[in-house]
Amino acid sequence: MEETISLREIFDTLKKRVALIISIAGAAVAISAIVSYFMLTPTYQSSTQLLVNQSVEEGQIYTQTDVRTNLELINTYNVIITSPRILEPVIDELQIARSVGELRDQINVGSQGDSQVVSISVEDTDPAMAVNIANTIAMVFQRDIVDIMNVDNVSILSSAELGENPSPVSPNPTLNMAIAFVVGLMGAVGLAFLLEFLDNTVKTEDDIEKKLGIPVLGMIATMDTSNTEVKNVSHNRRNKNGSEKFGA
Amino acid sequence: MEVRSLARKKKDNTQISDKQRSLIAYYDPKSPVSEQYRTIRTNIEFASVDNIVKTLMVTSSTPGEGKSTTTANLATVLGQQGKSVLVIDTDMRKPTVHFTFQLPNSSGLTNVITRQLKFDDAVYETSIPNVDVLTSGPIPPNPSELIGSRAMKQLIGELKEAYDYIIFDAPPVRAVADPLILSKYADGVVLVVRSGKTDEEAVKDAVDALKKAEANILGAVLNDVKIKDTSYYYYYSEK
Repeated sequence: MEETISLREIFDTLKKRVALIISIAGAAVAISAIVSYFMLTPTYQSSTQLLVNQSVEEGQIYTQTDVRTNLELINTYNVIITSPRILEPVIDELQIARSVGELRDQINVGSQGDSQVVSISVEDTDPAMAVNIANTIAMVFQRDIVDIMNVDNVSILSSAELGENPSPVSPNPTLNMAIAFVVGLMGAVGLAFLLEFLDNTVKTEDDIEKKLGIPVLGMIATMDTSNTEVKNVSHNRRNKNGSEKFGA
Repeated sequence: MEVRSLARKKKDNTQISDKQRSLIAYYDPKSPVSEQYRTIRTNIEFASVDNIVKTLMVTSSTPGEGKSTTTANLATVLGQQGKSVLVIDTDMRKPTVHFTFQLPNSSGLTNVITRQLKFDDAVYETSIPNVDVLTSGPIPPNPSELIGSRAMKQLIGELKEAYDYIIFDAPPVRAVADPLILSKYADGVVLVVRSGKTDEEAVKDAVDALKKAEANILGAVLNDVKIKDTSYYYYYSEK
């Protein structure tokens, strides 16, 4: 099977199935739009920031070591924040029917670079609830860390606030549709080539002459007889006298 | 109008019916398609330089590729050339020739082979110049045997004397053995292939089968080719 595929053939294949390709890509975009807008519940995110800082007593110099200690503490705090020790009181406080695991999945804790700031971001389907959870976690953490680690070095830097018109973080319909369009387009192009490859019907004179080795006597074009005039045709039996006619 | 509605509606004269479409070489001899049939006619004449082709078998690999249309139009263009042509419907399983030529099929080839009718009483003269048609006749239980019979051989022998060309409209090769038996009587075989519909494999099988039967394949007619613009064919004729 030595087959060379020219650019022209590729182009022709795509041109032949352009309707298929466009419709598949369009359908993919439409489906993703429907799913994004009507089926997925939007989630909202809100976050609060904590500053981890050893309270320095007067007269003491704030050293490099203290900073490093604080930084190392942050990693510990990140784990503590998502532990049941903190989350259970939060659940009690908010009186929500959620397990610790469910709540943990909503929370994302991270510190920004080497700063001493820990940010807690919470995602929830209800923007007000997201704000509440974030603030409660910050509050409970600040309150309980004193017991847990015998330190009091956490202060709330900024609390979460409910904006006027909160916009959901997910889904992102535009992005989803763009992705669906690209994927749909790729799939459709692939399908077009697959169909072309699987279609082994005879199409041209060359197919017959090269592959079957018999000459082509002629080609009949698809008949388009929209403007042909009609004559009547009649027949008769040869050996009958008179004319027994079978009209058209 | 109430009375008229019971009668068959008269055809709109600008529209051509499916039946008439299949006889385009007769209804519209100036059309590019008719010209293409004339090209096929010429090529068949060239193909029969070495051994005279008087009996032609038109077949295909699968049903519905346009055998009957090709047969009818080929007969028409041969007739228009002044050659006497007889079309025989040898597809005794699914005869179609009588539809194409708008004939009754109460009697025909089967009656002639079984000696119930004389050929002269069974054949139709059509209004297409020089073209006679013998329809298949009633569908027999044993088509292959009838086609392979001595009576059939004898009939073809006699008819060869009477006509310049005899064209068999045969069943498709892959369906039954009839066309392979028929090819014994045919000086040349024309294989109709419908573009974009027939599988290469199917055509290959048909060609192999015919070659095994030692048929003389003159070549293929590629039917239903999608040509975007055939209008330039009209350049020499007033439409």
